[in-house]
Amino acid sequence: MSAEAVAQSAKPTIFFDGVSSRRRQVTLTHGDALEIAEPGEAEGPRTIARWPYADIRRADSPAGILRLAATSAPPLARLEIRDASLAADLVARCIRLDEHQTTRRGVAKIVGWSMAAAVSIVCVVLFGVPLAADRLAPLVPKPVERRIGDAAEVQVKTIFGRSVCEDAAGKAAFTKLVNRLRDAAGLDDDSMTAGVLPTSVPNAFALPGGKVFVMQGLLDKAHSPDELAGILAHELGHLKHHDNMRGLIYNGGTSFLIGLLFGDVTGSSAVIFASRSVVEASYSREAETGADTFAIEIMHALGRSPKPAAELMFRITGKEGGSGFTILASHPLTEDRLARMTKEDRPASGPPLLTDKEWQSLKGICGSGKI
Amino acid sequence: MNDLQWAPIGPPQPIPPPLPPTRVDFTGDRSGFSKLVTKGAMLELVTFGFYRFWLVTDIRRHLWSNTLVDGDAAEYTGRGKELLIGFLIALAILVPIYLAYFLIGIEFERWQGFASTPLFISFYAFGQFAIFRARRYRLTRTIWRGVRFWMDGSGWAYSLRAMLWGLLVFLTLGLALPWREASLERYKMRHTHFGDLRGDFEGDGWQFFKRGWWLWLLSPVALVIFPLAPFFYAQFKAREWRWWLDGIRIGGVSLSSNLPTNAFYGLYWKVIGWWLLLSTIFAAYLGGATMLTVQLSGLSAEQVLGPDNASKSIPMLVMMVIGYFAVALAINIIMRIYLQRDLWVKVLETIEVHNIAATADVRGSGELASALGEGFADGLDVAGF
Repeated sequence: MSAEAVAQSAKPTIFFDGVSSRRRQVTLTHGDALEIAEPGEAEGPRTIARWPYADIRRADSPAGILRLAATSAPPLARLEIRDASLAADLVARCIRLDEHQTTRRGVAKIVGWSMAAAVSIVCVVLFGVPLAADRLAPLVPKPVERRIGDAAEVQVKTIFGRSVCEDAAGKAAFTKLVNRLRDAAGLDDDSMTAGVLPTSVPNAFALPGGKVFVMQGLLDKAHSPDELAGILAHELGHLKHHDNMRGLIYNGGTSFLIGLLFGDVTGSSAVIFASRSVVEASYSREAETGADTFAIEIMHALGRSPKPAAELMFRITGKEGGSGFTILASHPLTEDRLARMTKEDRPASGPPLLTDKEWQSLKGICGSGKI
Repeated sequence: MNDLQWAPIGPPQPIPPPLPPTRVDFTGDRSGFSKLVTKGAMLELVTFGFYRFWLVTDIRRHLWSNTLVDGDAAEYTGRGKELLIGFLIALAILVPIYLAYFLIGIEFERWQGFASTPLFISFYAFGQFAIFRARRYRLTRTIWRGVRFWMDGSGWAYSLRAMLWGLLVFLTLGLALPWREASLERYKMRHTHFGDLRGDFEGDGWQFFKRGWWLWLLSPVALVIFPLAPFFYAQFKAREWRWWLDGIRIGGVSLSSNLPTNAFYGLYWKVIGWWLLLSTIFAAYLGGATMLTVQLSGLSAEQVLGPDNASKSIPMLVMMVIGYFAVALAINIIMRIYLQRDLWVKVLETIEVHNIAATADVRGSGELASALGEGFADGLDVAGF
């Protein structure tokens, strides 16, 4: 160890050459460039690196240490200065010391572009995706739609029982009812199937590819063919409007875009879930209102009133308003639907959709399970 | 502390004399960190989360550069932009995979109801791959004494191990967890390098099992008496950390830790306390906001919350959203201060480094890894250390 190095060692200057982890104590000399020299045993100080001042950049360091790198040196070469006055002197010479750091302007740029990205994503979610869903849904080829429907049907049957109800007389009545509605709705002949599922849940739904299912629970609660017909007409409305495919494209698109925004493509975190629920519920309410409109038209075309269907719904759900935060509801409130269909109530001008006998056999379509 | 001993090393000495273990110091300023995460959280809010790449980078830069091993501070050289690019590339790869997943799922469902559920496992595999690759990214950005850490090994090989062990853990109701962790850690550490030094992991599953089996046995109790759960979890984490640190080897260097098993009680309860406080404030705020809207608009509470008069419920919705974000922001800051910074410091101050002399002249090697792994981890919402 030379005497000079020992004299400096209270606040040593350390150099790492970026090739090895050797910790070298060095002395600095100012010239055209910063001369980094290692004290030698016999031949005196030996210059091991020359850093032009313009190449020197600040690296992260704990308080009290100035750590430097140089663009012209190996990327991991570091010079650590612990002496405050030496550090201040060097900082004054290095004009481009902090050039690479994120500045206030850099942050402003990040904020600006993020906001722009967010605004465009929100606009696409609000306007672009619904438009794309409306335009694309009718263009989805029938076989694709049917495949998706088949997959959904298998799932539904796994949950609600293996097969549809098969009572012959009941089935004939159900087919007659569905066919009358289908003809009035103007749906393609080959694109539709319908069935009754043996489960006590009072509900009905449409699947992609023209599948309509009524659950036995709903059938049990219905008092007249018109009640059931209105509900079926509503489901046919969903088919006519391609609501399933629209919903699929819409939900897929929004959850992807909202996930993109918050950085989780699978869309599992709470913020995404919440914002998605609100956006999708409003879209779904729109689709339900559309299907109601369609049901009203069909029932009028058949010369029957749409009101009984709403009464059936009201009987099942009861009054819904005031039960929590309804901005998340996927359907319009039942009482509002009832009010709307009551407004559309007209005295019957067409023949009954089913005879009493047919209605009784339809109610017994699932055999012994009825009330 | 031993600048003098290590200053001018000439030719490598034949046998370095045995030295007392070295400590790891943390010199970071807590209020500085709080300021950093508060500012970062606000920027994250106004950028709809996009600032997270830069915030995560700033947090790591702070933690790394204030961690001193044998008197020399580490350095993190990753940058936010790299993470952003990694995220975008990950998106480009994940989107077609999601579509394929959707289509294959439909075919499976046609064949048998819910047959596509196992497909979800493929995302778990992808998540494990992401964890491995994200670790590689972080490690190659970690510099100490002018030499970087780096990693080889295959993310998919790691993922396969994680999956098989995961299955075993599932089948044994969690009892196999120590062996899973030991095996995975061994894989990770044996493919970890500091310059030309190779890492290893000497912890074994049996040791970990002996330290924590009673927690496994007591875990049903915590489900019933849930205030006990944080204690149990803190015990588990402390034991896990200590076992993990004790097992780490890099070249001839080994670590040991005397982390007490009750080390994290305070941290977890502080987080829970803050969380309860914030929830209470949020509830009160919501109540107040509803009352205010009702008073000002003259509508009933039902109308204010209803769906059909959307124009009337907008002020309420806006207030809810603002309140929600404020709470999310505060919780974010608290988690980062307590569970990242304070936990980091608490663990670091218990570490002893043995035979640090083995790192006196390590030759640098290893290439930088891309941030794609971090992007996947971000896109799939998985995290690992």
